[in-house]
Amino acid sequence: MKRYEVIIVGAGPSGLSAAIEAAKKGLKVVVFDENEKPGGQLFKQIHKFFGSKEHHAKIRGFKIGEELLQEADALGVEVILNATVVGLYSDKEVNVKIGDQIHHYKGDTVIIATGASENMVTFPGWTLPGVIGAGAAQTMMNLHGIQPGKKILMLGSGNVGLVVSFQLLQAGCEVVAIVDALPRVGGYGVHASKVARCGVPFYLSHTIKAVEGKDKVTGVVIHQIDERFMPIAGTEKHFDVDTVCMAVGLSPMSQLLKMAGCEMEDNPKRGGQVPIVNEYGETSVSGIYAAGDVSGIEEASSAMIEGKMAGVCVAEYLGYIEKEERDAELKIFEKDLDSLRQGMFAPKNRGKKIEKTDEGIDISTNLLEKGYVADDEIERFPGVTHKAGVHPVIECTQNIPCNPCQDACPKKCISTGDNITYLPFVKEDAECINCGMCVASCSGQAIFLVDEDCGDGTATVTLPYEFLPLPQEGDKGYGLSRKGEKVCEATVVSVKSVKAFDHTNLLTMRVPKEYAMKARFFKKAEV
Amino acid sequence: MNTVIDRSKDIGEFIPQPDDDMLICRCEEITKGEIRKAVHDGMWTLTEIRRYLRTGMGLCQGQTCSRLVKGIVARELGVSPAELEPATSRSPMRPVEMKVFGKEEA
Ligand SMILES: Cc1cc2nc3c(=O)[nH]c(=O)nc-3n(C[C@H](O)[C@H](O)[C@H](O)COP(=O)(O)OP(=O)(O)OC[C@H]3O[C@@H](n4cnc5c(N)ncnc54)[C@H](O)[C@@H]3O)c2cc1C
Ligand code: SF4
Ligand code: SF4
Repeated sequence: MKRYEVIIVGAGPSGLSAAIEAAKKGLKVVVFDENEKPGGQLFKQIHKFFGSKEHHAKIRGFKIGEELLQEADALGVEVILNATVVGLYSDKEVNVKIGDQIHHYKGDTVIIATGASENMVTFPGWTLPGVIGAGAAQTMMNLHGIQPGKKILMLGSGNVGLVVSFQLLQAGCEVVAIVDALPRVGGYGVHASKVARCGVPFYLSHTIKAVEGKDKVTGVVIHQIDERFMPIAGTEKHFDVDTVCMAVGLSPMSQLLKMAGCEMEDNPKRGGQVPIVNEYGETSVSGIYAAGDVSGIEEASSAMIEGKMAGVCVAEYLGYIEKEERDAELKIFEKDLDSLRQGMFAPKNRGKKIEKTDEGIDISTNLLEKGYVADDEIERFPGVTHKAGVHPVIECTQNIPCNPCQDACPKKCISTGDNITYLPFVKEDAECINCGMCVASCSGQAIFLVDEDCGDGTATVTLPYEFLPLPQEGDKGYGLSRKGEKVCEATVVSVKSVKAFDHTNLLTMRVPKEYAMKARFFKKAEV
Repeated sequence: MNTVIDRSKDIGEFIPQPDDDMLICRCEEITKGEIRKAVHDGMWTLTEIRRYLRTGMGLCQGQTCSRLVKGIVARELGVSPAELEPATSRSPMRPVEMKVFGKEEA
């Protein structure tokens, strides 16, 4: 039996962060992961992350994974892949299946960072091939380069459903609808808007009645439901699809902790069966810690901080650092975590109906019900201002912990105020030089550069564009509204892709000037 | 968490439902109706259901269905799913072939 000072199960953001922190203090660390690739969920995330600089904001998820891995490597952390932990006992014995053998390890401390598994809901036909989890769809597209299907219906409008829908569009699939049983879009408005402007309709207060097909999915019927989630007769809608994707939540994979005798609770706010832990992740079994989604479904950003906390705690537990040093570090992490847990999507606000932003502005109801801000709502938000010449228009209308836009502008045109969750606004004395950094840095793809009146009856709109093939200068097509409807003719003026934009291309289109504040996407005319 | 279930409680007769033939545990091919019936046969805990029907004992080890089974049993008993004690977790937490499980490193 091999002994380690810390055994970490799971090489996702929380496990790797814990490993880095513990190794920094001089502990001998091993990390086991059952996957062939480290990084956990991060390796499937090709989008730019929210948050602040300290939380790796505006960096794409898989890059964050690579950075963590490099750091862990440099510190001498041993990461063993294709290693499934099958047993954990209260004396911190860990059984690992590697190849065709069971190996026994003993940890002085153990950190469980096993993440979560996807939930499913049932309806007639749910076991047909073609009904898949959103995570599976993401793995197929982003790790293996395979389209999960051609025509897809997404069930679930949380961030996972929205992000994966956008990625499906990027992979060239058609997303026929996003359906959710709840009356309001569950995820960030900015994620919803970038899908809506591509023309994907949202059906809230709807659910799947049945999936059709004999040996595989050939269609799906949805229907509307009332406040008590009972179907309303006569509201059925049919879609021809070959795939139905489910993004209906995650459940913590906490079996190892239960097996080890840690006290558990069923906590719907945390996503299901979770260990009872103190604020730093220590379970009821001394020396066993939990970090990340396994102790409550949240985000990669919070998972990383929870991992760091556990890493520092085990260092103190084993006498590598003093209590005072631990407490000083924990204090910083706690502050970090707290800043992430703010805003209208914070865990404490889950299930609450929020009607006004922190600034006292009415929330866009159209955004919550249809996925995009209506033309008559957009003007009331502080990021939307008017000016002669090219200026930023920031369509970010909910309080979320995010601020790369503020850091991106070399001219300091954009500010999110004193609080990371405040709505970004354009400073009055702003002198925009049309560099495009804000558009490319915005994780929510919510910033546009608009010249409302070019003097010849036209306007130009610059928008973030992450689809292939890239349109070319001179291409003719249409300006699409926030809802994704063709509203006017449009011509591509330029397409910029520089390294600093990190694969977000900036497409500038010329539209009739009446559409300066309406056209938000470009669709090339079919020839 | 309520770990003791009052077995004198009257949960009424088993009433067939139109979607009773829907598969819930796909690994062991167990339907919603079978799970509901098992509750009426006296299997009131998830551990009992699992031993009686083998739900969650197949290839995925309950990764997909345990939440669904819990919901069905809770509804049948008229309690909230959070009140039901989840089934015991045991090693191996992932399916392992016997020949591997028995082959311990020296
Ligand atoms: C589509 C999508 C989009 C997201 N977007 C964002 C975003 O923009 N910003 C953000 O902050 N967060 C985002 N998240 C959330 C984020 O990915 C997760 O919260 C985060 O990955 C949780 O980290 P973790 O380390 O706890 O678990 P995971 O990343 O799930 O890692 C757990 C690891 O443990 C391993 N493991 C599990 N069981 C065992 C075992 N028995 N033996 C060995 N190994 C095991 C798994 O293989 C896995 O590698 C997104 C999630 C999804 C699905
Ligand atoms: S285009 Fe450049 S200068 Fe103008 S607001 Fe954006 S980042 Fe600032
Ligand atoms: S506008 Fe700023 S705060 Fe809003 S999503 Fe974009 S980067 Fe984040």
